[in-house]
Amino acid sequence: MSGSTKTTAVAIAAAAAISLLASACTGSSNNTATDDPNKDVTITFWHGWSAPNEVKAINANIKAFEKVHPNIHVKVQGNITDDKINQALRAGGSGAPDVVSSFTTDNVGKFCSSKAFADLTPFLKKSGIDPAKTFPKTMLEYTQFEGDRCALPLLGDAYGLYYNKDAFKAAGITSPPRTMSEFKADAIKLTKTKGDSYSQLGFMPNFHGYESTTTHLAAQWSPTYFDTSGKSNVATDPAFASMFSWHQDMVKSLGGFAKLEKYRTTFGDEWDAKNPFQTGQVAMAIDGEWRAGMAADAGVKFQVGVAPFPVPDDQADTYGKGYTTGTIIGVANTSAKKNAAWELVKYMTTDTDAVVSFANAIHNVPSTYAALKSPKLKLDAAAKTFVEIAQNPDSTTTPASINGGTYQLTLQDFGYAYEAGKQTDLAAGLKGVDTQVDKDIAQAK
Amino acid sequence: MTQTHSTLTSPSSPSAPAVLPAGSADAKRAATRRAALQWIAVHSLGIAAALFFVLPFVFVFLTAVMTDNQALTGDLWPTTWAWGNFGTVWHTPGFLTWWRNTLLYAGLGTVLAVASSLPVAYALAKFRFRGRNVAMMLVISTMMLPPQVIIVPMYLFWAKQLGLSGTLWPLIIPMAFGDAFTIFLLRQFLLTIPKEYTDAARVDGCGELRTMLRVVLPMAKPAIAAVALFQFFYCWNDYFGPQIYASENPAAWTLSYGLESFKGAHHTNWNLTMAATVLVMAPVIVVFFFAQKAFIEGVTLTGVKG
Amino acid sequence: MSAATVHPLLKAKRRRATLRNLAFLSPWLIGFSVFFAYPLISTVYFSFMKYDGFTSPTWNGLKNWSYVFNDYPFFWPALRNTLWLVLVMVSTRVVFGLGIGLLITKIKTAPGLFRTAFYLPYLAPPVAATMAFAFLLNPGTGPVNRILGDFGLPTPGWFNDPSWSKPALTLLALWGIGDLMVIFMAALLDVPKEQYEAAELDGAGSWARFRYVTLPNISPIVMFAVVTGVIQTMQYYTQPLVAGKVASGVIGGSGQQFEPGYPEKSTLTLPQLVYNLGFQRFDTGSACVIALVLFALAMMFTALLMRRRSGFLSAED
Repeated sequence: MSGSTKTTAVAIAAAAAISLLASACTGSSNNTATDDPNKDVTITFWHGWSAPNEVKAINANIKAFEKVHPNIHVKVQGNITDDKINQALRAGGSGAPDVVSSFTTDNVGKFCSSKAFADLTPFLKKSGIDPAKTFPKTMLEYTQFEGDRCALPLLGDAYGLYYNKDAFKAAGITSPPRTMSEFKADAIKLTKTKGDSYSQLGFMPNFHGYESTTTHLAAQWSPTYFDTSGKSNVATDPAFASMFSWHQDMVKSLGGFAKLEKYRTTFGDEWDAKNPFQTGQVAMAIDGEWRAGMAADAGVKFQVGVAPFPVPDDQADTYGKGYTTGTIIGVANTSAKKNAAWELVKYMTTDTDAVVSFANAIHNVPSTYAALKSPKLKLDAAAKTFVEIAQNPDSTTTPASINGGTYQLTLQDFGYAYEAGKQTDLAAGLKGVDTQVDKDIAQAK
Repeated sequence: MTQTHSTLTSPSSPSAPAVLPAGSADAKRAATRRAALQWIAVHSLGIAAALFFVLPFVFVFLTAVMTDNQALTGDLWPTTWAWGNFGTVWHTPGFLTWWRNTLLYAGLGTVLAVASSLPVAYALAKFRFRGRNVAMMLVISTMMLPPQVIIVPMYLFWAKQLGLSGTLWPLIIPMAFGDAFTIFLLRQFLLTIPKEYTDAARVDGCGELRTMLRVVLPMAKPAIAAVALFQFFYCWNDYFGPQIYASENPAAWTLSYGLESFKGAHHTNWNLTMAATVLVMAPVIVVFFFAQKAFIEGVTLTGVKG
Repeated sequence: MSAATVHPLLKAKRRRATLRNLAFLSPWLIGFSVFFAYPLISTVYFSFMKYDGFTSPTWNGLKNWSYVFNDYPFFWPALRNTLWLVLVMVSTRVVFGLGIGLLITKIKTAPGLFRTAFYLPYLAPPVAATMAFAFLLNPGTGPVNRILGDFGLPTPGWFNDPSWSKPALTLLALWGIGDLMVIFMAALLDVPKEQYEAAELDGAGSWARFRYVTLPNISPIVMFAVVTGVIQTMQYYTQPLVAGKVASGVIGGSGQQFEPGYPEKSTLTLPQLVYNLGFQRFDTGSACVIALVLFALAMMFTALLMRRRSGFLSAED
């Protein structure tokens, strides 16, 4: 082949390639549901639970659903992470699930805005469900994005204060702290050093300390992450600066970052019997409602106390609030069996008995008003506390955004640098977070 | 010291020092002492190195047979030998599927890669044509290509256009079109086959295809065995490929990907995770034991000497 | 041979030869166009587009490029890490591989057993090997730090300490030195004995023998090891990703965020960014930008190294 023919050939190939690509890339799906929900059909349901008791609980739930809807068969797949959900939704096709549930509320923004999840408003209308009357406010918040409701809450999580009652008794503390100054005093009282480490630490503030993350702690200051125009609000809202100042103070008072960090590396895995709260290495911790059950299962030797996490002194009347989040569930827009899929979603999210029995089984917070009031709800003292936290009107969650949890990561990264002393200018740092978050969102828009 | 060892031993050892006149008693004693010191030094280093290489396996294995509780402590030696852990892992739903998928991917991929690469290597080694050097350069540049460079459009191609996401076919099918590394190694080897063989075949009236299959192929067996083994291990150990294409469909997971998810589901059970690790490592090691000779010979034969 | 015109029979023969060449080369020709050239062009195309995988792609001009180079906080750390790995990991591997290769040629007792022991770790699948090392090097509960502590030696944070995470990865890479060991061993055994003997007669000590006999003879292999090492480093994905995931303890339950490059972006590599942007962040355009940077780097290193070693193309005479 001569030179010029070769070049032409390459050019043609390139053009063909590009046109091939452009045609291949149209987004999926129709927005209408045309399947007959009364016909015999099999739908696929993906969820993220993997622990044996959780899997048992959800399978029981599915079985109950199939009894009520004998024509709908559900294929269940567990241990699914968001990565896999993203992939499946993007690829579509026969391997994609019909109903998807995820632990992270992060991707709701993307799923709603890109129509990867089907819009549930028509389905809710058809079934006569008013979301505002059915689901708690914060749960509604993290299952929609900019007015698009593409998901519903499937059980929730609330975070609160866990404390070692025996250690409290030994240190002469009679009741759990309600304000940050009480909390600091108690944490110091409960800290016992041993050599250049600790034999017991009052509280592990370092942001890598499992659940004491920037977002979980910031919730106690009732922050607003984004202003009304959608720009990051971290530098403007004084809540964040207050939280970080408090945090610095805690770190210094408890021994300094390096010493705390070294102690942290001796902690066992968060999810096994060697969880530092369960072993007594820390006397107080911020954690989700699941910790009570896990501690009981691990057979901890001390009495576990549960209370709402303390609030800033100047917001003392909001005591009882906390960080809330939860599992979300939605219908894939690529599904050809949306009506049948909706039946499953409706059952799991609004059937009071289903919600209650599931909540009882995996010790999560029920996600409907009806379930919260149900007499069948097995609430021990600990679970009651969390239910109250979840229902508290001042409780907050991390809002959905178009690029998922990226803004939380950016804030978290700053937190890591700030606590380690790598960044010392708080105001500038927060401004930096704002700039980065806005840039990332602009890129994603 | 005798010279009856196989080729894979030291080429020479000084039998006489270069300083003292050979033959004197002092010289002999000095030589023996030096040789003894060298023997000790070499073998101590060898044992130290062997410990470095082998101990991790030992620890992994020991942890694999610990009980759930003991695995959480820092203990090094199991108090009770929980052999049942291997059974638990083996019966984890999906484990056998992962095995089957990995075998399919590695086996089929290897056969396709070698079969399609051989004619290409043959052409690049034996035929003279304009652009041969360019072709060789292109093969080498393909070898340099990290798969992540083209993963986005490739994924879109397989997933959206062909709907093969959630399977291993996007990984297997490209192997039927030659693998750069295999082509390169085979070509290097084929270059060393003297022209006389192919000339003789041509004189006998064989076309190039027959020459390749009847004359060259049997001679290239060790090289083919070597590249087949390389390819097999590459596929067996591949994590990125299955993560991209098979992650959404657990029925298509391979051992590498499944192992990582295993940790996700059993995040507290290091003993089970280590048992799973043992079961994933073991087959490769077993295959190596049986194919050892071919493997090592093949590496040297493929003329990486350049 | 006739001078001016080409004999028709010769033309036919040549055409047959060309067809035959194409036939033999066809698998690779198809593979190259479909699985290399086409995707490469597409990657360039997509780097200028905004495409989240769900809605249709739209033209985005240079925005993705500007984002990656100016606004993406993970890009420059990943680039720095890649350079660190190329400089440190590749060189330590080559030196260590040569050392082990030398050692194995000198072991007289049970050489086969030693050889197997040294080679075995190379066969361990990367995910398994990384998880094993993450377990062993766990700063709090792992056996290595326990033993170091018992001896009163410093106990580094390994995969949890940003200054130690890359060295820990290098340690893992050294553990799997088997492939380099084998080729160096073969190369060392190939050095002609006569050259050693001649050097000895000239009074050369062992270091001089190494420098003037061994090294020149094995230099092509050293080159090969360096080049393949750089290729592997460009693609380094599984080990840093798995190490970061296991060390950070994040397993996705309760909706925790995985911090790419844990700890503190020290284990980030460019291939991981392609996955992060393209498959987790729904930003395939920016992922393609990173892919092209990766490609450029790989080509640059290749060209640099290949300039000194055109022998790869050594053709028969």
